[in-house]
Amino acid sequence: MQFTISTLFQQIINGLSLGSVYALIAVGYSLVYSILLFSNFAHGGFLVVGGYACYYLLTQWGYGVVISMTGALLASGITAVLTEFSAYKPIRERTPITLYLLIASMGVNIIIENLFVVTVGGRVKALPQNTFPTGVFNLAGGVTMSASDIISLVTAVVFLGLLQLFLSKTRWGLAIRAAACDIRTAGLMGINVAFLISLVFFVAGILAAVGGIFLSVRYSLYPQLGSITTKAFIAAVIGGLGSLPGAVVGSLILGLAEMLTAGFISSQMRDLVVYSLLVIMLLIRPAGFFGKKINDKI
Amino acid sequence: MKRNIILILIGLALALWPLGGYQEGIIILMCINCVAAMGVSILTGFTGIFTLGHAAYMALGAYTAAILTVRYGISVFPSILAGGFMAILVAWLIGLPTLKLTGDYYAIASLGLCEAIRLILENWQSFTRGSRGFPGIEPYTTRGFAVTIFIFLAIITFNFLESRLGRELKASRDDGVAASLMGFDTHKSKMKALVISAFYCGISGALLGGYMGFIQPSMFDMMKSTELTAVVVFGGLGSLSGTILGSAAITLIMEYFRDISQYRMLIYGLLLVIIMVFRPEGLLGSREIWDLKMGVKK
Repeated sequence: MQFTISTLFQQIINGLSLGSVYALIAVGYSLVYSILLFSNFAHGGFLVVGGYACYYLLTQWGYGVVISMTGALLASGITAVLTEFSAYKPIRERTPITLYLLIASMGVNIIIENLFVVTVGGRVKALPQNTFPTGVFNLAGGVTMSASDIISLVTAVVFLGLLQLFLSKTRWGLAIRAAACDIRTAGLMGINVAFLISLVFFVAGILAAVGGIFLSVRYSLYPQLGSITTKAFIAAVIGGLGSLPGAVVGSLILGLAEMLTAGFISSQMRDLVVYSLLVIMLLIRPAGFFGKKINDKI
Repeated sequence: MKRNIILILIGLALALWPLGGYQEGIIILMCINCVAAMGVSILTGFTGIFTLGHAAYMALGAYTAAILTVRYGISVFPSILAGGFMAILVAWLIGLPTLKLTGDYYAIASLGLCEAIRLILENWQSFTRGSRGFPGIEPYTTRGFAVTIFIFLAIITFNFLESRLGRELKASRDDGVAASLMGFDTHKSKMKALVISAFYCGISGALLGGYMGFIQPSMFDMMKSTELTAVVVFGGLGSLSGTILGSAAITLIMEYFRDISQYRMLIYGLLLVIIMVFRPEGLLGSREIWDLKMGVKK
């Protein structure tokens, strides 16, 4: 494939746009990990719930874009909280081993995915054309940027900014940061840990839904859409699990790497590059860019 | 000694009981799954290292054996062994850096490894025939052969777990710090466990190829890896007989629901969550089945 400056810029724009969607999902992973220290693989399920809720609110019930999106965010958030109540909480109360949570989360993911397969069918669905503006802007030198690229970038920045404000300026944000530092001590200091965990899952669910809506605009909607969160998870690991800035940086790196590979090498290699990046990162710097240092010196 | 004789009797019963072709197939599949599950059990159950990518070692074993027998006309037994050793080589390379760290870093790396190997197999068209799969493998996995290998490995594993090395693994699982104070190099013992478990999975993959006559990269995806870990947890972490029972039970359950394939995955997901919520210690906990009869608690 030929190397041109305009392809380079085009792929950088595409990469940033994809990376911003990854960032929304990866931040949800990291948020849960920072409190409960397990990788919540049901996150992909929350995302699919958001996508389908948005689809049905738009098409079946004919609500506007804003109401549909709000409904989708709520649906995902509530699903996340329900999952926490019905599956994770009983396990946490019984054992401190996070493997059980991990396997349960994979189970929840399989359940959600296949609930959609059984009820609405595995066929691919597309959000209605007029949901978002679809214009394409020509930048200099034949580089284009679609309206959905801009919207997903802007929305990602807005939601991540809101999350940052919530975490740094509110009392509950402070509580979450305290719990990320040491959840036991936070509980002893009078923080309602049970409520806090639900809150974290709710926020993670909302972010997953935003990611889900953008993914279903970018690709299309199908029950296995959640499997794309594996990449967001990898982004979170590369940035450092449990670190929110890390999740954003990791996502942008991953989005860029993926799109540059697709543009200059071959689009079949993009997934391979992603997984190789993960393995290489773990070999060189297992805690990721911003992760807590792992002390393991005996 | 008594245990070995019982195992051999079970093996004879499995191998010689007159059955139809379909039941015979289920027994072969059970033996293949049990071999892989025993491997994961050594690593996860007895050494305490979680894995989300052991299907990769099965894929390596399956492809090595298939390519050696079909392309190079090497006889079956050396090819299967070569499959096992191929898995050992890759496990050694990936374990060397990641097993030094505490936490789930091996699990995350193994997830990346599993997907990377699947993608390499898919994209290396000229060598592996890519996602179309590799056909024409000689059907060398007969019932007698599968049962023989399974029983042989089961006897070795049961005795291995009571050997010096087996105790070393359990020590580093129960308390890594104490084990290293006793003079064990815990990193080395974890490496040994990983390498052995990869060998089992490689053999199992090679047997699977010989049973199906056809292998495909998508047979060894993340679902398969999750299933391997889930089966071990279902049987009971730290119980080899539990692992074998669990693996056999899951194989049977999945076969039983083959008619309603739509709901099969839904049931599988529910099963995972229900086991984690209500019986996280699995079928047998950390006891072996004969301890259960005598009411011995460990």
